[in-house]
Amino acid sequence: MRSVWHIIRTQHRYDSFHFWLGILVALLPAAAGLLLLGVSGWFIAAAAIAGLSGAFLNIFAPSALIRAFAIVRTAGRYGERVLTHDATFRFLTGFRNRLFAAMALKTNDGQRSGLLLNRLTLDVAVLDTIYLRLVVPLVLSLVVAVSLLLVWSSVSPLLLLTGAAFVLAWLGLAVWTFARSDTKTARRSDAALDAMRLRAADLAAGRRDLAIYGGLEAAADSVLVADTRLAEAQDVEDHRTSKLTAGSTLLGQLFLAVMLLVCLHEVGNGALTAAFSVGLILVVMGLPEIFSMSLPGLSRLPRVALAAGRIMHLMRRPEEVEPSQSLSVPETGRQGAVPALALEDVSFGYPGADRRVLEGLSFHLAQGEILALAGRSGCGKSTIGALAARLRKPGQGKILLGGLEIDRISEKELRRKVTVIGQKAYLFNETVAENLRVANPDAGDTELWRALEQAALAERISENPKGLQTILGEGGLGLSGGEQRRLALARAFLTRPALFVLDEMTEGLDAATAADVLDRFLSYRGDAAVLMIAHRRQELERADRVLDLTAPCGSGIRSPEIILSEFQ
Amino acid sequence: MHGIPIATVAICLLNLSGRGDTKRLMTIKREKIGTVLEGEGQDSGAAAAFGWPDKGESRSLKRAGRLLAVSDLLWIAQAGLISWALGSLPMMFSAADDGQVIEGDLTGLAFQAAAGIALVAVLRVFLQNRAETVARQTARAIQSRARAELLSVAARTSPSAEFPSSGAFAAHVTEQVDLLGPYYRNFEPQKVRLRLVPLGIVAATAVFSWVGALILVVCGPLIPVFMALIGMRAKAASETQQEELVRLSGSLLDRIRGLETLTLFGAIERTQRQIADAGERFRTGTMRVLKIAFLSSTVLELFSALGIAFCAVYVGFSLLGEIQAGTWGGALTFAQGLFILLLAPEFFAPLRAYAAAYHDRAGGLAARKKLATLFPSQNTYRNPKRADGSDVPVGSISLSRPPAIQFRSVSISHDERYVFKEFDLTIEPDETLLVEGPSGSGKTTLIDGILGFQEPDSGEIQVNDLTATAIAPLLRRKVIWLGQSPRLFHGSLKANLLRAVDTSAAITEDDLWQALRLAGAEALVQRLPRGLETPLGEDGFGLSVGEIRRVALARAAMRKDAVLLLADEPTASLDEETAADVIEGLRKLCDGRTAVIATHDPALRKIASRRIDLKALGVLAEGEVFA
Repeated sequence: MRSVWHIIRTQHRYDSFHFWLGILVALLPAAAGLLLLGVSGWFIAAAAIAGLSGAFLNIFAPSALIRAFAIVRTAGRYGERVLTHDATFRFLTGFRNRLFAAMALKTNDGQRSGLLLNRLTLDVAVLDTIYLRLVVPLVLSLVVAVSLLLVWSSVSPLLLLTGAAFVLAWLGLAVWTFARSDTKTARRSDAALDAMRLRAADLAAGRRDLAIYGGLEAAADSVLVADTRLAEAQDVEDHRTSKLTAGSTLLGQLFLAVMLLVCLHEVGNGALTAAFSVGLILVVMGLPEIFSMSLPGLSRLPRVALAAGRIMHLMRRPEEVEPSQSLSVPETGRQGAVPALALEDVSFGYPGADRRVLEGLSFHLAQGEILALAGRSGCGKSTIGALAARLRKPGQGKILLGGLEIDRISEKELRRKVTVIGQKAYLFNETVAENLRVANPDAGDTELWRALEQAALAERISENPKGLQTILGEGGLGLSGGEQRRLALARAFLTRPALFVLDEMTEGLDAATAADVLDRFLSYRGDAAVLMIAHRRQELERADRVLDLTAPCGSGIRSPEIILSEFQ
Repeated sequence: MHGIPIATVAICLLNLSGRGDTKRLMTIKREKIGTVLEGEGQDSGAAAAFGWPDKGESRSLKRAGRLLAVSDLLWIAQAGLISWALGSLPMMFSAADDGQVIEGDLTGLAFQAAAGIALVAVLRVFLQNRAETVARQTARAIQSRARAELLSVAARTSPSAEFPSSGAFAAHVTEQVDLLGPYYRNFEPQKVRLRLVPLGIVAATAVFSWVGALILVVCGPLIPVFMALIGMRAKAASETQQEELVRLSGSLLDRIRGLETLTLFGAIERTQRQIADAGERFRTGTMRVLKIAFLSSTVLELFSALGIAFCAVYVGFSLLGEIQAGTWGGALTFAQGLFILLLAPEFFAPLRAYAAAYHDRAGGLAARKKLATLFPSQNTYRNPKRADGSDVPVGSISLSRPPAIQFRSVSISHDERYVFKEFDLTIEPDETLLVEGPSGSGKTTLIDGILGFQEPDSGEIQVNDLTATAIAPLLRRKVIWLGQSPRLFHGSLKANLLRAVDTSAAITEDDLWQALRLAGAEALVQRLPRGLETPLGEDGFGLSVGEIRRVALARAAMRKDAVLLLADEPTASLDEETAADVIEGLRKLCDGRTAVIATHDPALRKIASRRIDLKALGVLAEGEVFA
């Protein structure tokens, strides 16, 4: 619930003018609606009395008022909707941007599942409930309740007492909903929905595997099990909602009955005129509509609170900011004098792991040199790659890039100096051109074609009538695994860094493709230094030096020949 | 009595506007829920329609609507009680000049009226609640049935047949089916309510004043006319906006998934700007749509407010004596006037509820349309009805020894092209057969044939002298199968391995490690943060391509009682190290089983006892086009 409150405050801070303006304008149609009923009731009662007694009644003022209220109510409703929705969407747009920024800072949390991300975008969409269905109606109800209490108190204490009792009853209903808001059920239904989505995706994608290991029918049943769980959870939620609705409706109707009683009693007492009492009774008729406006929001509260909680969790703890001093890497004329990359006594352990992956590691990578990192899986090869690209920070020790401490290089400069080619390059659901321009937004079509040519993909892309404008689809669909790797390579060929980090670039490729990809890369790299995280012979053969991470400390760097002989 | 026919016209107009956007008459016909499935039973091939209510369900929805209507119409009784209680007020006031009325009279009257109102109120709330429950449960039943039908088609479809993408299928099973709920729950009952309530209110009003009824009848139908005019524009605008929304959230998701890539290329800032721009575009677009939508509900508000105001003014002037017309003889009394005024808002209430639920209708109908197009070709899932062989009893057959497999003059075609034409092949028990050939030469089809995923157009595939499709259910539990791109499933690594066995109770931790060792996956699992209990996300999330292959091999190796081994390109796109491990694992698994390995990797030749080349065998590798 705290996170809901936090979102309200954030939205208020984001644009407090529109925040309050929306509420203010929302008051107009509500008030006009109640007054329309009240004045109408008063008018016809007064007219009836006047008609019977022949007394004079100014009929033009009330009938004009009635029409005016009708128009204010209508126009006000329109204005209110436009204003409140606009305020909300403005906020959500800004909020979405902030969310993305927050996520961008956290890439080193490791990869996230698509499921979580899916949920996240759904969560943002849910947040509009907070202002539109909770804040505005609740403030509205409060203002209306207080004004009515004032009116009632001016008539008679009994009327005030009755009114107060019913307003309190409504308040009690709202508080009850709020206090007993059942996040457990909301969480259960979220989980069931996620399970259903996952299992259905599994069923569609792994049909052969399922038919043999476990059976398709069983897989289909497991989706239905999730559906049942979802239905159960939603049933609990719906049950609460209908209890809430029924309670509110019943209160409204009982209030009407009691009001009738009290008003007639007061008329009998002489505390109230007949016409005014009819007006008061009719106003009560209009109350449930206003008080029930917050019901949908209240019943969705647990769900909204969960969504808000997840988002706030993500936005919290702003990671360390950009380095204060932005130094640029000095362009040294003396080639080879300053190492392209140097690690000095670097140690690193993943959070939560008891064993450190790297312990006091030091090595230099000269300008233009190709250094391969070898060693069995899990010995920290990829970690070194992540450290060199500043995706992770060392627990201890120094990393120097072109002679400068990596922490002190500005983000922009760093990304210009280091290009990483990994085994799982992400391809966006965009055109080929846009995917390539991620690396270099200013590249013209000729440059893109050249890069594709170098990656041996130009022919494949030009086969398609749309050429560079071909949309790749989710996860680069339509291209084979090897072709996707080549596209990632073409993307890298649009950069001119001082250091390439190859993170198992050829993993999952067959020997012929791997050799081709490697050679194409090496012919492109020019005089850039290369840190190659290798796991196959071909890669080691092409390195100037090999660093074997499994070797005992101190004897780390050996010639490729020795390592190769061990590999054989 | 003019009110009634005009009201009927009004209702007709309403219904027309309700269907205004469904251009073809056909769609209007299909709108009549429940009538669709009558003629075309699910087995006749029209089963592509998912998410339609059956007869009982549409009856329930109508019943919910009727309950709602009755609850609404009970307001007439309450309004009557109120008018009755208040009716004598003006007379008393005008009689006794300064308002001295006999108190006992009034209070007694008030008590009776209040008690009556309260009683009716309880009944109304009960009816409403009942209607809601019925509608909700019915909607849920329709949703669950739609899901079950979708899934049963999915389960019946042969794995070798075309199938929607996993994302599309998952979205249909979850979101699209979810959209049906609000439509059936909210909209369908409102439709019934709209047919009954205004009619009742107009009738009750007309009892005392035909002018009052006329005001309602004139204001009522104008609403749908104007709403339809605005609604048409709104619909077009909202459709484009809906697409925009899908694009926006899709691209946001896409970019978050590719965050690391964006970071590494220093493209974060640029992307942030793009997202901000797209968000802004979306916001202005949404507001444009909403303004139109709000305009249409404003028209509703306007007419309903004007209708109430006109009623009030008419009643007021009648009571003053300024207007004499509109009643059935005699002047309008205060009680009658109040009664008319009290009824007016309820005339418009169902209209407003209908308009509010109209959004749900759009969503529901669109979802239903989408569900119907999920499996475009009906043959896809009806054809291999025997693919799982469920109609052949297999209880009497047992598979405890390596089987012999025979292809007898088998012809199979895909897309009007022969993959096999009168193909003959005998695979001896216990032999390890390597099936070679370039891609497209039918290696996968051959394995699918043995597993019963693919029925031959002519000829027969036999396993131990039994038709492959007949023995398939049993065979699939007794086979070690390794696919070209194996898929692991959501759940722990251990759960994935246990999928291979029927009863997991007898499996010890040792068995699991043994299988992992055989697949060369022991070290990899030891390295995982939670070992065997490590959860795998969608698509074996967190593992690399090679690692997934090793775990899949371990899963296959869990089947110790298997009699047959089928492997489809087991080393495709693998690095040497992994490939070597996989080949070594396969070699051990082939021992004592009939084995068929489809491959074009020569490295696998060393474990085969016999080798055939599909191309050399005279199978139509190039694909002979039908004459």
